[in-house]
Amino acid sequence: MTTNVPVIDSHAAPVAGRKNFLNCSSGFLSWAGTLDHKRIGIMYLVGVSLAFLAGGLFALLVRLHLWKPDGMLFDNVQYNQIFTLHGAFMVFIFVIPAIPGSLGNMVLPLMLGAKDVALPRLNLLSFYLWLAGALMATLAIVLGGFDTGWTFYAPYSLYTDQAVVTIGLAVFVLGFSSIFTGLNFIVTVHKLRAPGLTWFRMPLFVWAIYATAILQVLATPVLGITVLLVAFERLYHIGIFDPRLGGDPVLFEHFFWFYSHPAVYIMVLPAFGIVSELVSVHSRKPLFGYKLIAFSSLAIAIISFLVWGHHMFTSGQSTYALFAFSFLTFFVAIPTAIKEFSWVATIWKGSIALNAPMLYTLAFLIIFAIGGLTGVILGALNVDIHLHDTYFVVAHFHYVMMGSIALAFFAGLHHWWPKMFGVMYNETLAKIACGIIFVGFNTTFIPQFIMGSRGMPRRYATYVPDYMGFHQASTIGAMVLGAGVALMVFYLVASLFQGKKAMQNQWGGVTLDWLTPTPPPLENFDEAPVVTTEVYDYSTLDYKAMQTPVA
Amino acid sequence: MFALLIQDPVNINGPDRSPQQAVDAYGQLTKLASTFSHVDGLFYFTYAVCIFFFVLIVGVLLFSVVKYRRKTWDQLPASNTTHNTPLEVVWTVIPLIIVMIMFAWGYMGARDMTVVPLEASRNTYKASAKQWNWTFHYPNHPVASYNEVWLEVGKPVQFLLESSDVLHAFYLPAMRVKRDVIPGRYQSVWFTPTTVGEYHLFCAEYCGKDHSKMYAKVHVVDTATFNAPQRPWDQWEDSTPELAAKSGANLYSQLCIACHSVNGTPGVGPSWKGLFIKNADGTYTGRQREVIDNTDGGKRKTITVDDAYIIESVHLPEAKKVAEEPYVRNAMTAFPDLDERKVRGLIEYMKTLADTK
Repeated sequence: MTTNVPVIDSHAAPVAGRKNFLNCSSGFLSWAGTLDHKRIGIMYLVGVSLAFLAGGLFALLVRLHLWKPDGMLFDNVQYNQIFTLHGAFMVFIFVIPAIPGSLGNMVLPLMLGAKDVALPRLNLLSFYLWLAGALMATLAIVLGGFDTGWTFYAPYSLYTDQAVVTIGLAVFVLGFSSIFTGLNFIVTVHKLRAPGLTWFRMPLFVWAIYATAILQVLATPVLGITVLLVAFERLYHIGIFDPRLGGDPVLFEHFFWFYSHPAVYIMVLPAFGIVSELVSVHSRKPLFGYKLIAFSSLAIAIISFLVWGHHMFTSGQSTYALFAFSFLTFFVAIPTAIKEFSWVATIWKGSIALNAPMLYTLAFLIIFAIGGLTGVILGALNVDIHLHDTYFVVAHFHYVMMGSIALAFFAGLHHWWPKMFGVMYNETLAKIACGIIFVGFNTTFIPQFIMGSRGMPRRYATYVPDYMGFHQASTIGAMVLGAGVALMVFYLVASLFQGKKAMQNQWGGVTLDWLTPTPPPLENFDEAPVVTTEVYDYSTLDYKAMQTPVA
Repeated sequence: MFALLIQDPVNINGPDRSPQQAVDAYGQLTKLASTFSHVDGLFYFTYAVCIFFFVLIVGVLLFSVVKYRRKTWDQLPASNTTHNTPLEVVWTVIPLIIVMIMFAWGYMGARDMTVVPLEASRNTYKASAKQWNWTFHYPNHPVASYNEVWLEVGKPVQFLLESSDVLHAFYLPAMRVKRDVIPGRYQSVWFTPTTVGEYHLFCAEYCGKDHSKMYAKVHVVDTATFNAPQRPWDQWEDSTPELAAKSGANLYSQLCIACHSVNGTPGVGPSWKGLFIKNADGTYTGRQREVIDNTDGGKRKTITVDDAYIIESVHLPEAKKVAEEPYVRNAMTAFPDLDERKVRGLIEYMKTLADTK
């Protein structure tokens, strides 16, 4: 994609002293009250990273506790609180907002050639709602914690004496943050595309964020209503889910998963978008099956509303419901498989750069293959009856949520880091950290697949000794994973202080985000861009004329 | 931290959990002990398909990365192909066919597991789940058992599942059986145990504090053992006080241990240590205890612990409630099905924990 306006010499070093969005103004209020999507994106980035580190710390405590069959660190109540905190922080405060909030905010308007998102004030409100939700969740810990699991299943969540209402309201507020972000991005994509940027010239990250936004707007209200009902039931004893009051606990499961299954795609579609983008840029090849990938995002978004019952195969649904939910679940596998095949086909015969973002992407492709394929195993009805609520499921969704989504987030972070901050991290350390994370991750979760298929139930503070070896292997893996993440945080933060200056177009990309100065000026482009070429057309850049980038 | 890692494990409480579950020939699943072999069949079929696709995807990926890796900054891709319709049709249609096979196979299996055959419904047990215990009632036998259940090998069995508090799940990995237990409705599962042995029964739906300790052991025994005049779950040896205490200790470890300690440590409920005092002449006197008597309008009273008080407390725990923090705030599970003979076994066991005067 090129523009008909003279863009910067895309591979020259940045002009010294040029005003960009980072240094155009300073002071606390210039950040706290900013309407600039890039600054809001960075505030999200800081926030979700802290949430990720907190959630990761809880995970390490869980793993350490499970070193011995009867636990090492906590009593059962404390353990239940810690695994609930891990789940709630990771799902609601990290994974759901992470990519749309930070990288989506940062990159989406750049890719569209827009000055900002369509509704900048709403964007800032989204961030503050996120912040309020995160603080309320933290407050719930101070108020004594909560031990319901992140799923809040009734009637336990109605009876337990812990801070369920506080965390429920936190989830409610976080839900509004998510809805506003989605709404904002939908409007932005419809209204603010640069002249010439037709729908099928949009980068796939934009498509993915767009499909995600539709899910956020349509699905999240159901979660909000459900947690409010739980709060009302706890406070006023209205019988909705409590069988003692004439309610139905299975109804809660239906409501919860009606949101939380689409939520899986709210989390994973942006990750798909990042990977589509990175695979193309770092192979310097147009995406294989561009339209099919774009449509498969939408297909996944639609079908994902119709498969929630596969979380409830053992709840006693009628066999007709089992039939329908299992059938549709297998259907989701197809667009997902198409994506994976298309990414591999894009890499095939490409010019593959083995830089840090691409290594994280390759790690994603391998881990996501496992995460997706084990999902197929769980889709089979009779097999799922055996595996449901075991560590097999735990391992499967960690392969998707942590191994795939978080790794895609890391990949995107490494990809756009030079664009965001104008500096490069130490790539050698980045490659080492990626390797450590990959090894640590697989060591953590492969044993969980095995013990899960042998019947180890999830959410167990203690366990029968049969599974001790697997738990210990998993704990060792988690420590390695934690070390890898710590190394990553170290070199990323260090780069802000002593990183080398990044190139204008560090990776040789051709989407609009790479055709603006690094870091971008406050309103993104010096002159409004006009798009005249097809998406991912790498023939428009003259790589020979560029300098080899710093690393 | 390292010191923590090497300390000895504390003994696991509750029913003995030691049997190592055997693993099947492929080393992945627990050895199947029921007739639901279609679960294992489809599991391994899907597993094989997954391994095939994984090797294919990662193989192509790694091959490309090695072969087409960028050596100089300005290296252009070896090909710019963006479409290959036959290839795209193939990789859509073939997975579609494969997953439809899995779907049909899985559905037929699940239907088999859901529809209870007549023979199993004639052999219906009841499993009652309660935070954090299982109680089993048998067909045609009045005695219930707790956290342990005996089944006859080769005979189809149905379990009616009920919960009196929160969600639980009845999970028997070796039988490939799992069903959520939902308060306010009956659920059922059936299976035919095929191999004599002892198996884990887990609660697989998170149910609060001691979710992970909500464990029962399933004994699959041969027909002769099952039908012996003294049924295996009805063995209660109390011909001497020592044997009664031993039986009581056994029952304690299944039923009471989660809340009552025997070494003086406070738990959810009071410790059993020193409930009785052993006199010099070998007789026992009950300890004085302050209680709230809910059978008498909630008055505070001092009573002496005796057999009648303990039997009442097992059957109707709220009747006379120990007026001490924190026990006064906790509600004990009632065990109305525990017959007096067994409670007397518990009392004999308590007496072995008596303080000496």
